[in-house]
Amino acid sequence: MTNIDTAPDAGRAPSSGALPASPRQVAGKRRRLVSSARTLNTIAAALFISPSLIAFTLFVSVPTFVAFGLAFFDWNLFGAPKWVGLDNFVRLANDPDVWQSLWVTVQFLAFGGIPTVALSFVAAALLDTRLRGISFIRVFYFVPIIVSVAVSGVVWRALYAPQGFLNGVLATFGVSGVNWTLDVRTALPALALMMIWLSMPVMVILYLAAMQRIPDSLYEAAALDGAGVWVRLWSIIWPSVVPTTLLVCGISVITFVAGALEVPLIMTGGGPLDATRSLALYAYQVVFVSQEVGYGSALSALQLALFLVPATLVLIGRRFGREKS
Amino acid sequence: MKAQLPTRVAHITAILIGAILTAFPLIYLLAGSFMTPSDLSAVPPKLIPTEIEWENYPRAFEYFGARPFLNSVVFTMGVLLLQLVLGLTAGFALAKIPFRWTALVVILFIIPNFLPNNSAIIPLYLITRELGWVNSFAGMIIPIAGQTAFATLLFRQFFASLPDGLIEAARVDGAGWGRTFWSIAVPLARPAIAAYCSITFLGAWNIYLWPLIVAPKQDLAVLTVALAPLAKGQYAYVPPGVGLAAAVLSVLPVFIVFLFLQRGIVKAVVGTGLE
Repeated sequence: MTNIDTAPDAGRAPSSGALPASPRQVAGKRRRLVSSARTLNTIAAALFISPSLIAFTLFVSVPTFVAFGLAFFDWNLFGAPKWVGLDNFVRLANDPDVWQSLWVTVQFLAFGGIPTVALSFVAAALLDTRLRGISFIRVFYFVPIIVSVAVSGVVWRALYAPQGFLNGVLATFGVSGVNWTLDVRTALPALALMMIWLSMPVMVILYLAAMQRIPDSLYEAAALDGAGVWVRLWSIIWPSVVPTTLLVCGISVITFVAGALEVPLIMTGGGPLDATRSLALYAYQVVFVSQEVGYGSALSALQLALFLVPATLVLIGRRFGREKS
Repeated sequence: MKAQLPTRVAHITAILIGAILTAFPLIYLLAGSFMTPSDLSAVPPKLIPTEIEWENYPRAFEYFGARPFLNSVVFTMGVLLLQLVLGLTAGFALAKIPFRWTALVVILFIIPNFLPNNSAIIPLYLITRELGWVNSFAGMIIPIAGQTAFATLLFRQFFASLPDGLIEAARVDGAGWGRTFWSIAVPLARPAIAAYCSITFLGAWNIYLWPLIVAPKQDLAVLTVALAPLAKGQYAYVPPGVGLAAAVLSVLPVFIVFLFLQRGIVKAVVGTGLE
């Protein structure tokens, strides 16, 4: 890299040369310098970029697209994959477990996804104030962000256990409790509540950031008109954070569709009676328990198709968010 | 703007109730880690142990052994450092080195992010197996460190905000791109590095599914993998208090990081949402 010192000058407009050289010589030399600097820049850029790009391609892009391809094969992780065309998709359409797990996924969205967005909006609106000590209180709302699925599993196990905290509270009032994670009626809402708790902090943070960008002048104008709390909430805050709502909805769908895997895996293994076996968990079990890679990939492809909606939401939300900020 | 008194009181009450409800599971985690089994199943339920059961902690440590702690530290540090190097270099080049294909490369980094990770985990496992990395730290660390889009785009955004003049001045002084990167750009990037570290540390420390799949060998279990069976209540011989103590031990490092870097984490989350 000896030539490289000339690079910064090379790309610029020619300075009035003090060198006593013929115009043609200068032009020739400059052209060479320009092209060699360009080459060096290209080499440097390639060296800097390629490790990251190669790793990303190998471990993110390729797997993402291969995931589709595997759906057309029959493969048990060992031996050679066998091309079976659309067989896996035909099987998928006729598999009652698929419909059951899709239903579970929809329930996760209903019990978890929608409440998370609503609660995050309310929490952020509450926290968007200049009361003294508010930054300390905010920490309480943010702190579950540090918790892993495993740690939260242990804690919520203690809360949900047959003789755990929740049933203890009920028993105090003479109500006999339930075995929350082993009862078909309560298992899914119980896990959804856990996932709401785990996923809320990020959404509260995003909402709060959006609310803090709302100019004070809007509130002042409303105050002059004698607007109350509800008017503030619905006529100023809500319309101002629509892009964030789209983004948060997108994240929420991803969390409660694709993310409905680790929590049921850890807490119930999909039970009782498949009541918490989401599509994501079913695909996981088909691949890593039954070792049917092709069929599992077809299930993932189905799930991916369900994602085009939230992905579009995130895309739109980000675009608007950027324009506003 | 002054709200009326009743409104203010209602507002403050709501904030406090929300704070207590949100933090409650963690408060109970800490309190329960010092309780005996009979305290944990008492009616009415206890929030303060009748007698502090210190024994839970040594027993939790006994359940884990030192190995999962070590594995978690190696795994997290490996991911953190490897991805930092990859992200810093690529982010710098994409922001500051004139290059014909910059826009295309940026798009390549962005597109796959819209597809959720879990569906790619099967091929990711197969690739890692082809590389012969199953049941090894390489297999645990490199495929995760290789998810470089967040780091690369974060650092690109940061370096793009530095004035070009700074970089050009170094280049005029005869520094090559390598030197410019190392002695000018990297020292300036400290705030971005801090934001990256806090987010990536949280993510890597808490990751569960990938290490479980790629390194099923017991010796390689990270804390989350070692802890998860306790959530299912599979081991009846581990009293719940011991399980809670084990959970406290595994969340403690991130909690300390959170207390110090809380603002940075919040900023980084906002940043990733808008990038």
